Amino acid sequence: MANSISLSERIRNHRPLLIIAVVQIVVLTLVAMWVMDIVIVEDTREVVDGVETITFRRELIGDPLLFVLAAIGMSLPLLSSRLRREPVMMLAVQLAIVALLIFVLWPVAQVFVEGFESTEVEGTYSLEHFQRLLTKPMVARATRNTLWLGVTSATLSTMIGAVVAYTLTLTDIPWKRWLRILVVITLISPPFAVSFAFILLFGRRGLITYDILGIQEWSIYGADGIILVQLISNIPLAVLILMAVFASMNRDLEDAAEDLGAKTFRVLRTITFPLVTPALLTAWLLNFISSISDFGNPMLIGGGFQLLAPQAFIQRVELFDPQLSAALAMLLVIPALIAFGAQHRISNRRSYVTVTGGARTGHVRKLPGWFKWPLFSIVLFLGLFNLLLYGSIFVGALVKNWGFDYTPTADHLQALLVTANQLKNSLVVAIAAGLLGGFIGIGLAWLVSRQRFPGRGALDFSGTLMYAIPGTVVGIGYIIAFNAAPYLFTGTFLIIIIAYAFRRLPVGLRSGVAADKQIDPSLEEASLDLGASRPRTFAKITFPLLRTAFFAGVIYIFIRSMTDLSSAIFLSSAKTQLFTVQMFNVMVRGSASQAAAFAALLIVIILLALGILGRITGKSFVDVFRIA
Amino acid sequence: MASEVTFATASIRLENLTKQYKDVLAVDDLTLEVEPGTLVCLLGPSGCGKTTTLRMIAGFEDPTAGRILIGDEDVTEMPPYSRPTAMVFQSYALFPHMTVYENVAYGLKARRTPKDEIPGKVQEALALMELVGQDEKSPPQLSGGQQQRVALARALVIRPKVLLFDEPLSNLDAQLRVRMRSELRDIQHRLGISSVYVTHDQEEAFSIADRVAIMNQGKLTQLGSPIDLYQRPADRFVAEFVGLSNVVPAELLGSNDKGADIRVFGQEIHSLQAPSDPKGPVSVVLRPEAIEILSGSKGAVPARVRSMAYVGPLLRYMVAVEGDGTELMVDLSNPRMDEFYEDGAEVSLNLPKEVPALLS
Repeated sequence: MANSISLSERIRNHRPLLIIAVVQIVVLTLVAMWVMDIVIVEDTREVVDGVETITFRRELIGDPLLFVLAAIGMSLPLLSSRLRREPVMMLAVQLAIVALLIFVLWPVAQVFVEGFESTEVEGTYSLEHFQRLLTKPMVARATRNTLWLGVTSATLSTMIGAVVAYTLTLTDIPWKRWLRILVVITLISPPFAVSFAFILLFGRRGLITYDILGIQEWSIYGADGIILVQLISNIPLAVLILMAVFASMNRDLEDAAEDLGAKTFRVLRTITFPLVTPALLTAWLLNFISSISDFGNPMLIGGGFQLLAPQAFIQRVELFDPQLSAALAMLLVIPALIAFGAQHRISNRRSYVTVTGGARTGHVRKLPGWFKWPLFSIVLFLGLFNLLLYGSIFVGALVKNWGFDYTPTADHLQALLVTANQLKNSLVVAIAAGLLGGFIGIGLAWLVSRQRFPGRGALDFSGTLMYAIPGTVVGIGYIIAFNAAPYLFTGTFLIIIIAYAFRRLPVGLRSGVAADKQIDPSLEEASLDLGASRPRTFAKITFPLLRTAFFAGVIYIFIRSMTDLSSAIFLSSAKTQLFTVQMFNVMVRGSASQAAAFAALLIVIILLALGILGRITGKSFVDVFRIA
Repeated sequence: MASEVTFATASIRLENLTKQYKDVLAVDDLTLEVEPGTLVCLLGPSGCGKTTTLRMIAGFEDPTAGRILIGDEDVTEMPPYSRPTAMVFQSYALFPHMTVYENVAYGLKARRTPKDEIPGKVQEALALMELVGQDEKSPPQLSGGQQQRVALARALVIRPKVLLFDEPLSNLDAQLRVRMRSELRDIQHRLGISSVYVTHDQEEAFSIADRVAIMNQGKLTQLGSPIDLYQRPADRFVAEFVGLSNVVPAELLGSNDKGADIRVFGQEIHSLQAPSDPKGPVSVVLRPEAIEILSGSKGAVPARVRSMAYVGPLLRYMVAVEGDGTELMVDLSNPRMDEFYEDGAEVSLNLPKEVPALLS
């Protein structure tokens, strides 16, 4: 039988392989054109008898190493016989690998490389910057300060977050619905707006410190100020993580403990606390990363308190020392990566919180009043304080000159018109980044949660890695990686969009994976069984079911891109000015009330975006940020 | 050693117990007594208030009205940790971060048992539940049945006066459920500990309980021994819930204090109990196995076979009575070869000559 197969039949039998082979060539060619270029350069110049002879040679520029890595990465899925039978899937996996390699791993790796680059002889590497680092007291101080800040801030915000989450989930306090929103409301503003509001209230001409209390010696600027601001910004993250855990905890366990004779505190100590320990660790590690990555708050309120992230910026942009800046960025990335790795391990361990059949979850405990009311007052205080911060921003925008002249005026709102251009830029960039990141996230989520192929774990890891990379490092990495020929796209909107999309990809990916787990695989199998192709199944079955997760991802990335400062400050240029950068400049140098108008506008835009999301998916803003 | 364990047990008395949630009356004026050493099953469909009642006895829910007494002690206001109760949860609620030993020792530590007594008591409880050698395992490593035993050991080790079971077998597979059920019954008997057992499974309730309390919509509908309920259901709900599905209207011919005579499908039947209301309409419960099914017109009531099915060892016919078409369930055990009837076959029925009671 085998002998009688004609050539055309043979081709038909191997059609998938032929298609894959063609795709390999096309993709590799495109990658090669993107990362490498051949230029003609002058080789020698001789003057013989008054005639100048110049010889030229061709030279390869760009990153051949990146090309080789891409080729290796693309060959991994070829090992899977399942994927070899499905060219479309193969292409999707390979594109994902190439994209993550170029836009995640490569720029981050560049930070490490530049730190070792020698300034004396081009193209050689040395430890000179690290020697320089060791001799500079600033570096040691900034490193020590950063670690101290991360540990203190993460510990305090996790502890307070745990108390708040417990109270809001498991006790019968009043006004729970409103308090739940108020305690996490600071998630929606750009982080540095919180420190700005602190300055309005407690700064040198602060409403509370100067006008009401008349304090003049004390200042909010410095370590205390940063810690307070970070608490307000980071508690919500801990609250969201822990509220989800408390809500899904098997309440029978606490009931059983109480039934066996354990009193309120013993139940907390021996049952509740150990059960939520993994979640507490997760919250701590994520808050640690967030705290040490923080750029805007220390810049505004840090005073003379030196930290790595702002120093990396100052060294590059103000003191023109890119190598030292890269080395500082490296020092910043290392603890963040360690924390991220630890968090990854914890979340991969089997959770205690899994609930078996018949267990009750999320039941409110009836607790004694002496226990309940102190908890309630903590939550109430936090909620009202957040309200005060936001209130000061909106009121600040409507008065002549906060701190000096509190006459109402609309001047600052009118002055916003001047920034219409930056605002438009920011909106376009954020929408594009949101869509791009949302699509990549949902597609990647589907690949890693539904397909089995070699390199799947690595793909998942690279997709999530950016979560650990501080915005300043992303900015620096993108500049280093894509500044020179053949890329030359520093200073374009495209680089900002791509940077934002990939920087926030982890959230899109995670929310996609979580949503995938909710969908019964047999739905897809039924579609395939009925004859629909993979792409059709994805478009008609999977995507509609993932729609909510997709929109949540898009809106999250949009908001985070709208409010980003740490990457923007490196990547935006004279031609690509962004709203937050402008706003930051006004906050540092301009009038407080004008800056308040900026912040107020940004908050309104975010609220609108969340309103749209609510319309489309019926999700509240708390749901959007829970996926983080 | 295990047989030496004795418990100071006590009666449980629920007096006019009521639980009102915002817009639902979960438990409605429930009065019930569990005599010392006996096991009472709360049986009813989901949402009938049986679990709420159990949780009020344990102290997890506060009754809106009424009292709970264990022995002579009013425990209504007592927090769960002070009550002499121990509960076996539907989900077992084994602490996943503790070993089997730590789980069992938990209640002893919480109740401040002297440290040197703890190991002995734990080992005793483990031995009782045939869990010797499993001490250092963690709960997820155990099978469903073993987890169930640990949950029971953990409850027994604190020597409660009252044991509470919340659908404890519903997470086990059918075979294991039957085995565990007799094991639970055995241990409860041996220890002689007053127990309240919540289930929605009639078979489970009847096989394990001294007395069964049938609940419907928050109310106690009937309390009695399994035989009582089977023979003299108080109303149609009980009759149907305990699995007697032939409840048919009857014509009352006459009644006195010794009983009553009724007519059903033209056949006269004697009831050993008179209806509570001698004038009102009455119904009669015809147990499926008490009806005789015969070929042709040998019996008194002509009928037609609708369907036939094997239910366990029984042959179960659904037949329609000729005339008004009322459907009856008829069970036949050990059918002879000539007792297999095709669908649509004309048969006839003999109803029982005597029934224990009537429904009014």
